[in-house]
Amino acid sequence: MPALPRRILLSIFALVTLQFGVTSSIVASDADVPVFEQDILPVIKARCADCHNAATAKGGLDLSSMAGVRKGGESGEPAVVESLDESMLWIMIEGGDMPPEGETPLTKSEIDIIRRWIKSGASSSATESETIVTQHDVLPYLYTRCVVCHGARRQEAELDLRTVESILKGGKSGPIVVPGRPAESLILNRIHAKDMPPPKELIRAGVRPMESSEINLLAKWIEQGAIKHDITPDVQTAQADGLVSDDDRDFWAFKTPVKPKSRDSDLSPIDYFVRKKLDEHKLTPSQQAEKLTLIRRVAFDLTGLPPQWNDVERFLTDDSKNWYAKVVDHYLGSSHYGERWGRYWLDVAGYADSEGKRSADPVRSHAWRYRDYVIRSLNEDKPYDQFLLEQLAGDELYDFENSDAVTDEMMDALVATGFLRMVPDGTGSDIVDTVAERFEVVADEIEVLGSSVMGLTLRCAQCHSHKYDPIPQRDYYRLVSVFQGAYDVYDWLKPTSVAGQSKQKNPTRRYLTQVSNDVTTQWQEARRPVEDQVKAAQDELAEKEAEFRAKFIAEKLTDAPTEQHDAIREMLKISAPKRNAEQQTLAKKYEKKLTATSADLVKKYPEFRKVKAASDKKIKALNARIPKQPMIRALWDRGEPSPTWVFRRGEYTNPGDLVGPGVPSVLTDGQTPFEMNPERPGSTGRRLAFAKWLTAPQHPLTARVIVNRIWFHHFGRGIVESLGNFGKTGVAPTHPELLDWLAISFVENGWSFKWLHRQILLSKTWQQSSTLRPESEERDSDNRWLSRMPLRRLEAEPLRDSLLVTSGQLDTTAFGSPDAVVGRADGLVTAKRQEAGWRRTVYVQQRRSTLPSILETFDLPQMNPNCVERPNSMVASQALHLLNNGMVRDLTRQFAERIEAKAGDDRYKQVEEVYQDALSRKPTPEETQLALEVLTQLTSEWENRVKSDSNVKDGSVNAETPSAETLALANFCHVIMNSAEFLFID
Amino acid sequence: MRRAFDLTPKKTHFKPRAKAVIQLFMQGGPSQVDLFDPKPELDRNHGKSILKDIAKDLSSPDAAGGLMRSPFKFAQHGQAGTYVSELLPHLSKHVDDIAVVRSMFNTHQNHEPALFKIQSGKLMPGLPSLGSWVTYGLGSENQNLPAYVVLDSPEGRLPTNSGQNWQSGYLPPLYQGTRMRSQGTPILNLKPETDEPSSVEKLSRDLLGRLDRMHKARRPGELQLDARIASYELAARMQLSASDALDITQETPETLEAYGIGEKETDGYGRQCLLARRLVERGVRFVQLFTVGQQWDNHSNIGTSLPSICGKTDLPIAGLLADLKQRGLMDDVLVVWGGEFGRLPIAQMRQGNDLKKAGRDHGPPGFSVWFAGAGVKGGTVYGNTDEIGWNAAENRVSVNDWHATILHALGLHNEELFFEHHGFKEKLTGVEKVRIVDEIFA
Repeated sequence: MPALPRRILLSIFALVTLQFGVTSSIVASDADVPVFEQDILPVIKARCADCHNAATAKGGLDLSSMAGVRKGGESGEPAVVESLDESMLWIMIEGGDMPPEGETPLTKSEIDIIRRWIKSGASSSATESETIVTQHDVLPYLYTRCVVCHGARRQEAELDLRTVESILKGGKSGPIVVPGRPAESLILNRIHAKDMPPPKELIRAGVRPMESSEINLLAKWIEQGAIKHDITPDVQTAQADGLVSDDDRDFWAFKTPVKPKSRDSDLSPIDYFVRKKLDEHKLTPSQQAEKLTLIRRVAFDLTGLPPQWNDVERFLTDDSKNWYAKVVDHYLGSSHYGERWGRYWLDVAGYADSEGKRSADPVRSHAWRYRDYVIRSLNEDKPYDQFLLEQLAGDELYDFENSDAVTDEMMDALVATGFLRMVPDGTGSDIVDTVAERFEVVADEIEVLGSSVMGLTLRCAQCHSHKYDPIPQRDYYRLVSVFQGAYDVYDWLKPTSVAGQSKQKNPTRRYLTQVSNDVTTQWQEARRPVEDQVKAAQDELAEKEAEFRAKFIAEKLTDAPTEQHDAIREMLKISAPKRNAEQQTLAKKYEKKLTATSADLVKKYPEFRKVKAASDKKIKALNARIPKQPMIRALWDRGEPSPTWVFRRGEYTNPGDLVGPGVPSVLTDGQTPFEMNPERPGSTGRRLAFAKWLTAPQHPLTARVIVNRIWFHHFGRGIVESLGNFGKTGVAPTHPELLDWLAISFVENGWSFKWLHRQILLSKTWQQSSTLRPESEERDSDNRWLSRMPLRRLEAEPLRDSLLVTSGQLDTTAFGSPDAVVGRADGLVTAKRQEAGWRRTVYVQQRRSTLPSILETFDLPQMNPNCVERPNSMVASQALHLLNNGMVRDLTRQFAERIEAKAGDDRYKQVEEVYQDALSRKPTPEETQLALEVLTQLTSEWENRVKSDSNVKDGSVNAETPSAETLALANFCHVIMNSAEFLFID
Repeated sequence: MRRAFDLTPKKTHFKPRAKAVIQLFMQGGPSQVDLFDPKPELDRNHGKSILKDIAKDLSSPDAAGGLMRSPFKFAQHGQAGTYVSELLPHLSKHVDDIAVVRSMFNTHQNHEPALFKIQSGKLMPGLPSLGSWVTYGLGSENQNLPAYVVLDSPEGRLPTNSGQNWQSGYLPPLYQGTRMRSQGTPILNLKPETDEPSSVEKLSRDLLGRLDRMHKARRPGELQLDARIASYELAARMQLSASDALDITQETPETLEAYGIGEKETDGYGRQCLLARRLVERGVRFVQLFTVGQQWDNHSNIGTSLPSICGKTDLPIAGLLADLKQRGLMDDVLVVWGGEFGRLPIAQMRQGNDLKKAGRDHGPPGFSVWFAGAGVKGGTVYGNTDEIGWNAAENRVSVNDWHATILHALGLHNEELFFEHHGFKEKLTGVEKVRIVDEIFA
């Protein structure tokens, strides 16, 4: 103990007691006051014990014994404490929350006796038996505080604290536990003395000291004999699950869909189900949109780019019956389709090229392979079940560690697991690398999974059983256990370190090097020319250095007699041990004088300094260009998961029951064990089993959630409006039959996205005009019954891509390392231009801390952890950006130059070309007239400016300054790119 | 039906004390035992090690020294006799207008999580900031200026967590803070970045207006199109209003002097403080000021580094308080001062054993903040840390309590101010039980 003044120590201890020392003392009963066993238990048995008994214990709460009351439920708080107002039992009863809705409420006298019982001290006739402390009350703390050094990866002092056996075995200093004698147990002595965990190692090891309550538990376990109790993880068995009932399962979204029948031969099933609802609401569909409108709509919808004018003309002149199907197929077949629709998936996956959470926001240099995987998969129309299987368990599909050759499929499957590596993660910095922050990462992944794929708000069950949906807290931690083979909060793989914020030695990382042979070959081929250049530059420098060294020697040799020069030169060529006696003598005398390091030469010869500096610079630049070893940012099962304990209140310092892997019971029959059949040696098979369960054709949610999402992107509104929440607090489907028809047909048609797009785009519903009719405005103002096609604002990416392609500045190179972004001092962030222009927005680096301003302004979200639905805002900063931003203005000038190249100086033709390229149509005579007038005025204003500028200068016009005509046309292009028609799709 | 969001003034839940907030945010963690919370026990036990006890709070345990007395002298000020250290001579004259809370605590010892917590209630990123909640709850009284303005240092160096300090999270982007610069173009893209005659700009604007009206005429009833035209009109008005709000040449030399504008040391922060006043005067709801970099993060050389940042901010803040009072704005504006945490009472020895070069490590368990204006009971000192200034001990105030108290001053109830998100009623103060620190109000 440090020599502290007593008063300070007291105050420190007083605080500790205040926080952890609260114990409820139960006042002994006397004759008048109610006693639990006699007065309360009958009420409980009648009213509460159906759910809160020892076997079922809903919410973790068993009220059938006083011990259970004292222990309390999953909140970690006892049900009854000294004060009435703070007793959870009373709060729930008084607030009317219990018994739950639908059950008979407690009678007044029942409520009264419970109140009196608690007020009088919650008496019980049961003798207070000592609480049994099991190894699972203690192990979670040892895992949290100790196993990083005394566990699987490291066994400091030859000590392993992961099991009762290994604890009893002890370490280098002998036994650490003396059963029954806490005071003599070394482990407690070291902890009490605050030597363990070592105070100075806390940050490095990512642990914090044990709390006194934790130490007390450990002491008690040792006192009770350090016994290994027979406890197995709580998993689903063949016996019916007590926490989730069949009534709970009887909710539309939790039941397997049944395919409804379409009963109209004239209408497609989609149109039939939509028409049914329109009829019900006395609405009629809108007429079909014009051909031109449809072409532009389909192009944007499927590729996120405006149609090219020559394509438009071709489609316009196509009079065949199936012209429209041809349009749809044309754009479905475009490689830009994957870039557009892949981006939607990247939103739900929470794709980012950086770690986030820390200000340094380190870049995830290999994350882009996942982005490419998504785009390619969509272009190939990879079946959704396979797409999911790879992303959730790709590492469990192939024995990648022991394969001689890495196939493309194998690499793809590993890259796909990047889906589970996308959430923000600060644990690359030691100070935020404790179980708490690691668990945040796991919880974020589960949230992504829940919101994107399962349509469930799983996160609610992290701290307590879900308040609205039948998801017990236990089920949440069973999911945690599914991921524990790869995401182990007690045995963590670090992400990219934050520079200067990690002192861990050789941390294990999240990269695999199992790239396919093709990628390896490509890499080696790409390296070779650059490496050759490096070599050449090095050789060149060496040659120069030799020249200068020779010069140096020649100069220094003048000190030696001329006749010895040759002998000395000869000596210098021979290595020291091989020299003869004569040479050794010469060496002694001259060698030191004649030796010059590179640095010496730099000092002596300014000319050489210049040569060397230039060469060093060149070599450095070349080295930076050598492609880095291709790696995969993956998630893989490591085969040795730590146990999973429920975290009461979601707090790792508050561990509860031991659980094993499983899936939400409400989505099963509640009596089928979760079985794992690992395919890859050394893997637990947990995620594979989960992924297979999730992608089973009869799964109630998987297909519904994704078809709803696809529908949403086509119509701007989901059949279920709450895209990420199909639970009870979600919004009920507007067209339940349609949803189920789509879901089942999607699965029947091989989980094919392109099939689904085709069904939707070829429907009459989707081809409706967006013109708002009075009946639609009055009775379907939010278009939930689809009485029209909504007018839609371009999202951030199609907007930026349209600006680029229209001005001829789009570089269509796909895939690979993302294009860097740069931030200006005033906060403006833009992507760097590539040689041929700017690439599509999906290829721009998605660094969380520096999102390109134009994208952020137009609602590109920060991924925290993902984005289920983007906001659709209409704010002044958008107008300011399009009006004033320098890059937008540069693009409009390039647009103008492009138009001039096509149309010459014919203003009429120019206007027509501008309309065709930017708005996919020809101008009306009125529009042409207006444009020509304004162009004339603009030109004359610019002429005035040019004149006044030249007056100031010497009268000559700078060749690089655009002409007044070009400047005026650029203004016109700028106006068109700012116009509502450019931004909104009919 | 999708909800529409705007910034028109909204009804409060009950009668508000204040209409606007100026948050003087001191990122980095000002040292409470050197500014507002004198601890004689530190003098008595100077040099004693409490390493094993305090280890859990250390971010760099290797550099931990013993308990360290404050190198600065404290004195009582004002009628109430509030203790303030010698580093804040100007603020000392205003102690009867401020209420110091000495018992705040945060729950993480590292900047990023602690900043997320103090800005938006939880240790994690992605949630709406306090200013976003306030503007969501109250709207704004000036539709030509952003409702929530962030004034960062004129050097333009963003604070730790950069824009995430004023993000709107799951609230619509309308409510996120708008960064205004006191020099150069105040708002991103406010002015055209290429040079063109104003006549050209006018012709272009007129043409755009005509084309958009023609476009709209063909699509009757489309509210989105009206909203878009409105946003272009607002953009035009903002160009004028923002320029006017930031034009401090309209101020008298006396006012500029009172804020320390023109003096090298105080010019930067003085401008920020003056702009804050000009903005709340114009109806801006929430103004958040950041100091340069992390100058309150005094890990080393606290004997010189702390006086330096105090010197930059003390006079401007005093100037702001005096100015608000003199203009009768004090009753309508809540001024809050504080960082994301305080500092530990022990020495941090990053540079060997020289105590002269010592600083203090981050101290989340106990720190001081203050409030002024809005009916705050001046001269109050509320709560206390333990005898060494380490843990908030008496009348502890959590970050959530602090948030609820600020909302309360604005007539908003923390439980009633919620946003439906994924089917849940999300609140700034989350599910934690909070307590409004009523004791600081008159």
